[in-house]
Amino acid sequence: MNANIERANAVRTAAPRRRRMPVEQVVINLFFILLSIVVLVPLLLVVSISITDEQSLLASGYHLFPKKIDWLAYEVILKSPGQMLRAYGVTVTVTVVGTIVGLLLTAMIAFSISRRDYRYRRITTLYVFFTMLFSGGLVPFYILVTQYLHLKDTIWALIIPYLLNPFYVLIMKGFLEKLPHEVFESAKIDGSSEWRIFFSMVLPLSTPALATVGLFIAFVYWNDWWLGLLFIDAPNLVPLQLLLYRIMNTMEFLINNIDRVNVAIDLSAFPNLSARMAMAVLAAGPMMLVFPFFQRYFVAGLTVGSVKS
Amino acid sequence: MLRKRNGLKLTAAAAGIAVLLSACGGNNGNNNASPSAASSAPSSGSAGATASSPASGSASASADLKPVELVWYLSESSVPADLPAVQDAVNKIAKEKINATVKLMVVGSGDYNQKMNTVIASGEKLDLMWTANWNFDYVQNQSKGAFLPLDDLLNQYAPDVVKSMPDYVWDATKIDGKIYAVPNYQTVINKEGFVIQKEYIDKYKLDTSTLKKFSDLGKLMETVKKGENAEYVYAMNRDGNFGNLARTYNLEVISGIAYINLNDPAKVVNIYETPELRDYYDTVRDWYQKGYINQDAATLKSKTDMQKAGKAIFGYDNVLKPGGEIEAKVKNGGKDMVYVPLTDAYTGTNTIITTMQAISANSENPERAMMFLNLVNTDKDLFNLLAFGIEGKHYTKNADGSIKLIPDSGYAMADWSLGNVFNGYTIEGKDPNVAELTKKSNEEAKPSPIMGFKFKTDPVSAEIANVNAVSSEYAPGLNTGTIAPDDNLAEFQAKLKEAGADKIIAEVQKQLDEWRAAQGK
Repeated sequence: MNANIERANAVRTAAPRRRRMPVEQVVINLFFILLSIVVLVPLLLVVSISITDEQSLLASGYHLFPKKIDWLAYEVILKSPGQMLRAYGVTVTVTVVGTIVGLLLTAMIAFSISRRDYRYRRITTLYVFFTMLFSGGLVPFYILVTQYLHLKDTIWALIIPYLLNPFYVLIMKGFLEKLPHEVFESAKIDGSSEWRIFFSMVLPLSTPALATVGLFIAFVYWNDWWLGLLFIDAPNLVPLQLLLYRIMNTMEFLINNIDRVNVAIDLSAFPNLSARMAMAVLAAGPMMLVFPFFQRYFVAGLTVGSVKS
Repeated sequence: MLRKRNGLKLTAAAAGIAVLLSACGGNNGNNNASPSAASSAPSSGSAGATASSPASGSASASADLKPVELVWYLSESSVPADLPAVQDAVNKIAKEKINATVKLMVVGSGDYNQKMNTVIASGEKLDLMWTANWNFDYVQNQSKGAFLPLDDLLNQYAPDVVKSMPDYVWDATKIDGKIYAVPNYQTVINKEGFVIQKEYIDKYKLDTSTLKKFSDLGKLMETVKKGENAEYVYAMNRDGNFGNLARTYNLEVISGIAYINLNDPAKVVNIYETPELRDYYDTVRDWYQKGYINQDAATLKSKTDMQKAGKAIFGYDNVLKPGGEIEAKVKNGGKDMVYVPLTDAYTGTNTIITTMQAISANSENPERAMMFLNLVNTDKDLFNLLAFGIEGKHYTKNADGSIKLIPDSGYAMADWSLGNVFNGYTIEGKDPNVAELTKKSNEEAKPSPIMGFKFKTDPVSAEIANVNAVSSEYAPGLNTGTIAPDDNLAEFQAKLKEAGADKIIAEVQKQLDEWRAAQGK
């Protein structure tokens, strides 16, 4: 909250200064303009390729502005959208459930280890931190999930492994430690239970941190294809990114081998370049729209911990 | 007060559970589980994650066999959406004939190697799997103990399959004298030569009969280059073409830099030290400087886009197979292509072990797995079902027995990844004689003098990695003629020696000598 007000103040005081535009301001602006261009151009190129006629792509290569506009790629994908829509459904479900549950668990454990009156907070913090540095390796992880938890080919295999990320727990802890402990004490004296304190006081007070960490978690879920690759065989549970990854990866692999191996590799089964780019646009789209809504909290959340109360 | 303390305990307990979960999350990059999470998870003690479903059918033709479920991993270019429907139909046949059901696990080719490594390392239930020398490596995984030796099983349960292929095909699959995989019988020959667009042969009246060796193409390209004023006429990627024309130079590759000269098949040579490679380098350098080869060749990963655009007027290929000109036409944007072979048909270990099925070493029912393999390779209905799907839904049958695939039907698998392709239907528009011609060329092909020899890379894996690193620096430039062999080859050779090339050659020679002694040669 403090951070928000401070930021608002900062913006207000900076406003009149901008008109004069001293040299350093120009340099900084120029730098960020260039940075934005560097980030935006590949994105625009993907969009441009997706609406370019395939023949003109082969003949004249990529252009930022399509030489011949052609919506065929989108038409083809949207004509039989079954697979894509199902993958969308899986990814959206996983992202929503994973973010909500993951955020709740992250906040809970972070709140516990941020409490000075929790006796084992040091050892618990170490336990969380330890998993950031050391892990059992891929095969034990695979065995655990498939043979002990029996999560193979279930949607939980896509959700549970990412529910808690120790890094986000530590970010959250850093924020929660700044909350005045006395407020919780007085709530306790007024007869409030720990649950009530957590849900009615801690969560509302930490909205900026929750939004930031929530966005991080949502990105992890949205962009994940790895868990799907390991644990999903059923076609109706394939998440969106895995769908794209499979097509790209397999195509690249086969193209690299096509000249050497005496098997008839049929590349016509793959969508052409513009169709692949169209899929990338359709897959990335929603996240690009979500981001600006979170941005407000995002900045505030990242500066969390740097503000002294 | 008591209530409150309980509340805190509850929160702490919830946090404790959360901690366990965080251990599952591990670090974000690797997604690995920590051992602590593994030990605290409920252990069910069951070995297989996928329990086999009990038989649902009533009376079966093979009543003395108990019902089993086989798990079969396959590598395909995509996972077909209609796989469950086809799997049901496959199971109907398999249930009736050998009282088994099969679970088809289709994995994208690009992910297949990684997926199989995980599946095998975790000891998951697995009976049959696809393997080859270019994806999920046959020799490497055999040495890891992933496969079961099949000689006895083959003789007992699949004598027809043994008979369906020439003996040399079986020789090619042998490791230390034992067969570990059943080849999916298809074209096993290679034949090297030029692939040229017919349009230009006609237009400039090119005399392809003058083409006797690789460098002879220069004259023809000169004519076309001048006449068309083309940017380039010969399409090449960063691998160059030497990998496709070893036989043209009377060489055969064993592995990486180790080749043999067919005049002296007992002696292993370092390819980068041979006059043949030097001749190739000089030829492509000349062509590159004259502008015949595309200028970006040294950095180009794939030439498929050039071919699709119809710009690859000349090219070289090592798989000139019967009916291949039609496939080449599809690849080259619908332009008619002409083959000009420079070698006879030949066959070697590397042209045969490109697609096979192996039985897992921890298969619970290896006998039934072999019976199923026998069915796939001998039962035409079953094979066609696997390769093309269900009639009426995924393809339609023509009066002449050929089939027409229904576009976007939701089912497509590569016939060569499943079994004996000669049992398959002819697809409409393809020459029905191709199958017979292919079979004939397979039987007439000249087998390699070192058929069946496989180099085990383990003893020199560090040297191989070093050599590959050096190669990736120099080879693309030399392979495509982009850099001059005069200035760079000597330096390249010296660096290869430093990286351990001699040690690799010595190790290959040692293994080859041992293999020859075992063969009684």
